[in-house]
Amino acid sequence: MKRLIAFFGLMALVGSAFAAAEVGQPAPDFTGTDINGKTVHLSDYKGKLVILESYNQDCPYCHNHFKTGAMQELQKEMTAKGIIWLMVNSVNPHNSSHRTPEQARAEWAKYKMNATAWIDDGSGDIGRLYGMLTTPHMFVIDKSGVLVYDGAIDDQPDPFHDPHKAHNYVRDAVEKTLAGEKVAPAKTKPYGCAVKY
Amino acid sequence: MIWSIYIYVRIFRILFIALALGWPLASARAAHTQAQLVLAVDSARRGETVLAGVHLKMEPGWHTYWKNPGSAGMTTKIEWQLPAGVTAGDIQWPIPEKLPPDEVITYAYENEVVLLVPLKLAADLKPGALDLKAKVSWLECKEQCIPAGGDVEATLNVGSETKPSADAALLKEWQARTPRVDKAFSFRVRWEKKVDNDTRTMIIEGTQTAADKSLAIDKAEFFPDASDEFEIQGATEKLPVSSGFALRKLVKEFSQWPSKISGVIVIQGNGQTNGFELNEPVTGDMAQVSAPVAATPTVAATAAPNQSLIQMLLYAFVGGLILNIMPCVLPVIALKILGFVGEARNDPRRVRNLGMVYTLGVLVSFLVLAGAVIALKAAGHKAGWGLQFGNTHFLVALTILVFLVALNLFGVFEVTLGGRAMGAAGELASKHGVAGAFFNGILATVLATPCTAPFLSIALGFAFAQSAAIILLVFLSVGIGLALPYLVLSFQPAWLKFLPKPGAWMERFKILMGFPMLATGVWLLTLATGVSDKNTMLSFGLFLVVLAMGVWIWGEFVQRGTKRRGLAVAVSIFVLVIGGVLAFPMTRGADQIQWQPWSSAAVAQAQSEGHPVLVDFTADWCLTCQVNKKVAIEVPSVRDKLKQIGAVNLVGDYTHQPDAITDELSRFHRAGVPLVLVFPGKPNAEPVVLPEVLTSGTVLSALDQASK
Repeated sequence: MKRLIAFFGLMALVGSAFAAAEVGQPAPDFTGTDINGKTVHLSDYKGKLVILESYNQDCPYCHNHFKTGAMQELQKEMTAKGIIWLMVNSVNPHNSSHRTPEQARAEWAKYKMNATAWIDDGSGDIGRLYGMLTTPHMFVIDKSGVLVYDGAIDDQPDPFHDPHKAHNYVRDAVEKTLAGEKVAPAKTKPYGCAVKY
Repeated sequence: MIWSIYIYVRIFRILFIALALGWPLASARAAHTQAQLVLAVDSARRGETVLAGVHLKMEPGWHTYWKNPGSAGMTTKIEWQLPAGVTAGDIQWPIPEKLPPDEVITYAYENEVVLLVPLKLAADLKPGALDLKAKVSWLECKEQCIPAGGDVEATLNVGSETKPSADAALLKEWQARTPRVDKAFSFRVRWEKKVDNDTRTMIIEGTQTAADKSLAIDKAEFFPDASDEFEIQGATEKLPVSSGFALRKLVKEFSQWPSKISGVIVIQGNGQTNGFELNEPVTGDMAQVSAPVAATPTVAATAAPNQSLIQMLLYAFVGGLILNIMPCVLPVIALKILGFVGEARNDPRRVRNLGMVYTLGVLVSFLVLAGAVIALKAAGHKAGWGLQFGNTHFLVALTILVFLVALNLFGVFEVTLGGRAMGAAGELASKHGVAGAFFNGILATVLATPCTAPFLSIALGFAFAQSAAIILLVFLSVGIGLALPYLVLSFQPAWLKFLPKPGAWMERFKILMGFPMLATGVWLLTLATGVSDKNTMLSFGLFLVVLAMGVWIWGEFVQRGTKRRGLAVAVSIFVLVIGGVLAFPMTRGADQIQWQPWSSAAVAQAQSEGHPVLVDFTADWCLTCQVNKKVAIEVPSVRDKLKQIGAVNLVGDYTHQPDAITDELSRFHRAGVPLVLVFPGKPNAEPVVLPEVLTSGTVLSALDQASK
């Protein structure tokens, strides 16, 4: 069964390799369910900046951004500007890092998260659509729906640093987009743990 | 499933023990890897280089990473704390394993690894015991990842002799697993094609040098060095080559495309694994490289680099020009040119106008074709020049049309469209109507579609992957090329002066031109029915004969007849209807190999049951596929082999170009059929990709390889 799932995963990957998200191109639309049971369409947020964050709290790279509070602060800073922040958890339901909606709501409360929504992507569909490789792997979509940033959250690819002191590529991309400037770098190598598809 | 239950039990046990003993959870969780410093010698002389190793032992299921962790993870770091006079060299990394999942491939070590480091002892080092220390940090992962580390140390005696240690054999064993630096292979790396703006394919080729041709190559892989500027992705496709190996890798750009690449080529064969250092420039000017060619992969491969838009438009134009002399178009064009030879002398202005109307007819047809391609692409379908050949109805209609044109040329019947009805056969000098000229433009285009000229496939292949505007431009260029000779001659009929005066020779020439048209019809007939299917071909061929008889009756007794024309109409219709009824339904012959329809699930199912899988992607209109099947697949030796290894045989019918197969083809970077794959009978095992042209030997050896 597992192997069959893996095989279909590969097929889906191959299929999506040509439809995948690409900087400078319209970000592909998706539909997901958040941990409160609400249906979320990316297209609902047309006209707003959207940030996607691939998430897995059990990953030390991801955890580093939450335990230091840096991720929550960035979420607050961004959502205060009217920006939509969607966390995408693509951990498969057989992995011990998977979260049921109840567990996810508890984790949300524990870490005092400030995102717009946490999308349960246990099937990995959204993750594969965007080619999410690691946790965290960040995406910024501009108001016209075009993907303007794809890559790492900051320039310190380790699970130990203080994110407050690192150069945050996402904040940089958002500020440049809001100022009408070209985002640079628009692509960086994402770092972290493999997404547990 | 059992495996995951086992993990849960284990985790619970660890948690239980941890809680029971009151251990801090963090230290219990970080204890899946143990690090130890080992030395090849117990004592060494100053000035020597001592081989040291950091021995990492992982618990079952846990892994640590290579120097390039891949798409995720973190490489292991060693920070030395060495006494003065001892300097550490770079880590020599043994060849890692490539770990799934396929979405996020990583390069890592499972169970254990020894990371080797040469330590150089200074010539002026004082004799005595030296404390060698290092801080090792790593990321260990199983279902979850944990950053961990530890301090390691060892003592080295510097004295008057070199004495191997108990660990010497271990270090030697791991040193044998590091990449070789000898020149057993010569490598070549080149850009292949653009997938999208930030993804390209790269081909790595290796040929064995004369010194060591003995190395068996069952499997070849490339593990790249890490870079922040680009990523050479995990997926590898092995391409069929006669000697050495060729690999296709996807490269994703972050900030810059590589001008050279480095990493390790991993060759497996005869149960051995050998690694070879690769450090090569990437050749080919990628700024100019075109998108994948849709219709003819073989042409694409030779025409890959240096294709700009202007060049493509030129190719399209030249291809269009050449179309004029292809057997499917030539007769129509030649006759039309002859048609105004006489007329031009009387009424040059009219000929010019007709020339322009004809050009307009061609261009409008090409606009319609381009529009169809753009619309199909916009609707998410896959489009290619061979597009119309996916449609049997189109092929049948085209075959009938071409036959009718041939019959018309033979003078069996007349076409009266647009002009006034012609009294006698071969009245070519009769006036051409404006509608007739326009129709001729359309006819030339329709007849041109089954033909592909040199240059044309390259240009069209380029166009299909481009924006709507470029598709339009390329198609119009082909149209201009096709129409130009006729247009030029209609303005300069004097250039045709070398031709004899209109006369009886024109009637003979017209009949002569009927033969290439008939040849085109025969070729189309095989496409419309599929050459493997003799029964269908026979029925359709007989139908065409009856059709010919029907139109002859029409031409002889309706068009040229004077008496009982009503009866003649009835008879010719009756003949056509009887012909149609006799010809259809077409029946299909049965193959001797038991084929089942292809689906990716069927492949996975068969593999999981331990059956090797032969997959044949074919199409009725694909001549190479039919030849392959006849000479290399449906032969006794292959049939016996398939039975013997218990293979499951799947056929993927691409005649109507279903998207599932198009996707599978593109997974193997093929733009079309044939594609024959042999999957080993192990779950998820990668297939052997057979070359486009097969022999039974190729198929047999692939089956052997897959059933090992």
